Amino acid sequence: MLPAMRASPALIVEGLRKSYGAHRAVDGLSFSAPAGSIFGVLGPNGAGKSTTMRIVVGIIKPDAGRVTLLGGTPDQRTLARVGYLPEERGLYRSMTPRAIITYFARLKGLRARTARQRADALLEAHGLGAWGRRKIKTLSKGMAQKVQILAALAHEPEFVLLDEPFSGLDPVNQQAVEALIRTAAAAGRTVLFSTHVMEHAERMCDRIVLIANGKSAFDGRVEQALALAPRSALLETEGGYDLAAALAPAGLAIEALGGTDAGRRWRAALPPQDGARRLLAACVAAGAPLTLFEPARATLHDAFVRLLADAPP
Amino acid sequence: MRLLRGVYLIARREYLAYVGAWGFWVSLITTPLLLAVMIFTPALLSRAEPTRQIAIIADDAGAGAAVRAAFEAQERERLRAALAAHAETVDPKSAPAALAAFDARADLDAARRAALAALELGGPPFQAPVARYRITPAPARDAEALAPYLTGAKEVEGAPLFAVLRVIGSGEATRLEYWSANLTDQAPAARARTALADRMRTQALAARGLSAPEVARIEGLAPAFVQYDPRTPAGREVTRRDSAPFFAAIALTFVLWGSVFGVSNMLLTSVLEEKSNKILDALLTSVTPLQILIGKLLGVACVSATLFLIWGVLGAGGLAQTAALAPSGQFADFAGALLMPSLAAAFALCFAAGYLMYGAMFLALGALCDSIQEAQTLVGPVFFVLTIPILLIGPAFENPNAPIVAAASWFPPATPFLLMLRAPAGLTPGEIAGPILALVITLALVLMFAARLFRAGVSHQLKAADVRQRLGSAGRKRPHPAPSHGA
Repeated sequence: MLPAMRASPALIVEGLRKSYGAHRAVDGLSFSAPAGSIFGVLGPNGAGKSTTMRIVVGIIKPDAGRVTLLGGTPDQRTLARVGYLPEERGLYRSMTPRAIITYFARLKGLRARTARQRADALLEAHGLGAWGRRKIKTLSKGMAQKVQILAALAHEPEFVLLDEPFSGLDPVNQQAVEALIRTAAAAGRTVLFSTHVMEHAERMCDRIVLIANGKSAFDGRVEQALALAPRSALLETEGGYDLAAALAPAGLAIEALGGTDAGRRWRAALPPQDGARRLLAACVAAGAPLTLFEPARATLHDAFVRLLADAPP
Repeated sequence: MRLLRGVYLIARREYLAYVGAWGFWVSLITTPLLLAVMIFTPALLSRAEPTRQIAIIADDAGAGAAVRAAFEAQERERLRAALAAHAETVDPKSAPAALAAFDARADLDAARRAALAALELGGPPFQAPVARYRITPAPARDAEALAPYLTGAKEVEGAPLFAVLRVIGSGEATRLEYWSANLTDQAPAARARTALADRMRTQALAARGLSAPEVARIEGLAPAFVQYDPRTPAGREVTRRDSAPFFAAIALTFVLWGSVFGVSNMLLTSVLEEKSNKILDALLTSVTPLQILIGKLLGVACVSATLFLIWGVLGAGGLAQTAALAPSGQFADFAGALLMPSLAAAFALCFAAGYLMYGAMFLALGALCDSIQEAQTLVGPVFFVLTIPILLIGPAFENPNAPIVAAASWFPPATPFLLMLRAPAGLTPGEIAGPILALVITLALVLMFAARLFRAGVSHQLKAADVRQRLGSAGRKRPHPAPSHGA
């Protein structure tokens, strides 16, 4: 376990602004990533995720705002403790995975021998031992992506930023990258990754920030985001019973989905507070012949869609 | 220390990437091969050229014989030159005796045998040059009948007829007609005209009472010629060896130009690759843009140094070996000039300056672009500047201190090439120090500006489109385009 600064956030972003001419890529963005957490930066394409990450690692200077990374500014000294995987990545095609991991580790300050040992150990641990001395151009995309993540981890950084680490990968390789992130987090590192695929964030993140139009649309724990997701339930009634008409006096919105062999199916939007219980009570009170009552699980995807719809332009 | 370490690692990777690529070894081998092909191909092609058959039709038998003699004299001269070169290679001490034996015999075969007999045995066998022209009997006398032979429809003695020289009339009314389907090779006509002019002058002088020997003596009159250089010790004549450094400087300038152009392109493609696949983004979290810039310049400089070292060692060995075989030959003079430490030092300095200037420019421009097509639009003007020294090679060779050449030496982008070209001309300290000072100042400014552009380019703050837009708008304020990458 790394001596992570549990007491203070690993990353604090305050009032970040960045424009490209008339286009405002990041617009007063603020959030913080707790040390030791897996933190998700979510948002649709063009939301400002990559620009934010580039600002965080000092590649781009912001027009306004401040970044506090591992307690300091994102200078070379601080960045020596950071691992970064850029978006739209590539590698030196004629180098070997071992040479690339060693090279990036040495750039971060490791001695040659240590860097080589780390490269060998990482490649072996992640099933790439046999590929270590082959050229990158002979590797599959998934393998190459793993190599690049390993290169970002080889110097054992306290903070890891991964920009869209799952993009372009098949489910098997996505699983492998997920495992890599979990391993890094288990070792005490703070992992921040951006994605627009909600399932990854929902499965892995402790906290997320949702960026829309360069602004923060949500910043908090995943459970908090899920609580904001619209809830619904699937119902089935016997025969030709009209559930929508029966529950209309109770002010509950019911949508007919169609008929089945035994009756009819309905989807009901659940009220925010204690929704499932109130719907069921209303059904019982109306004497509805229910054969199915199935509240749907809230997903981050639903929360994402709702938050985006509510986000200011 | 940390700064140097970053620079070293970038330079090391760059160096190993190039040296480890098969393209490096291909260029290591092909460049000298290409040079050898360029040097030896003309000679090989001229050897491969078949002998051209020429027929002479003359009203005046004497005039016809004079033209024939002129062609035979030419072949004799070519054979003598080949024998002289052979003698210098196999037995330099006996060369004068061999040539004297050649000159003493009128018959060409006998002269050749006598010359070779005067040389000690050993060395490569003598290869007589293929005759350039052969006089053949005319297959017909009138133009209409000759036409099929001249166009290749018919042959004379198993070969096409290259030309017919018709000498019409005699004395001062002599007229020469040259018939040939080849309209570019005027040499046979010129040789025949000279021979006939000599004969006409000789006849005219004889008609005025001069004896044949006296006419020959007058015809042969020419001033004794000696060339001196005021910068060499008094009384010492200028020899071929003195002019050899000028030829060597031209050769080295071409090599310098090609090298600077080549390695600058390597830098351009290298940074383009890293920019387009976002490796630069990963690098920038470990090293600064300046470290990347310096590291790349150093790495590719080491690649060039490796190439020059290998070519230099092999070339110097080869040149020294070849020069040793013929110490008084033209090649030995040229080789000696190429191996002069002062020229080698000038080359090293000029390469360093040229490389840093153009390499930094190309790196900066590459950092602004995302594709080679985009880069080509920006480096076009730089290529234009690079051609200036090449255009001045001709005037500089004719007169290294010509005003236009001297003035252009002060134009820093051309200074490394023109100083190299003018190096053997005995420049004054002012002529060297002035342009070098201007070059150093410009180099510092270019490096600073390139570093800023490179930094802006690699961090996606500035793109090629912005530069074109700013240049196009000439100061007009325009909106900044959004980055092409995902925001």
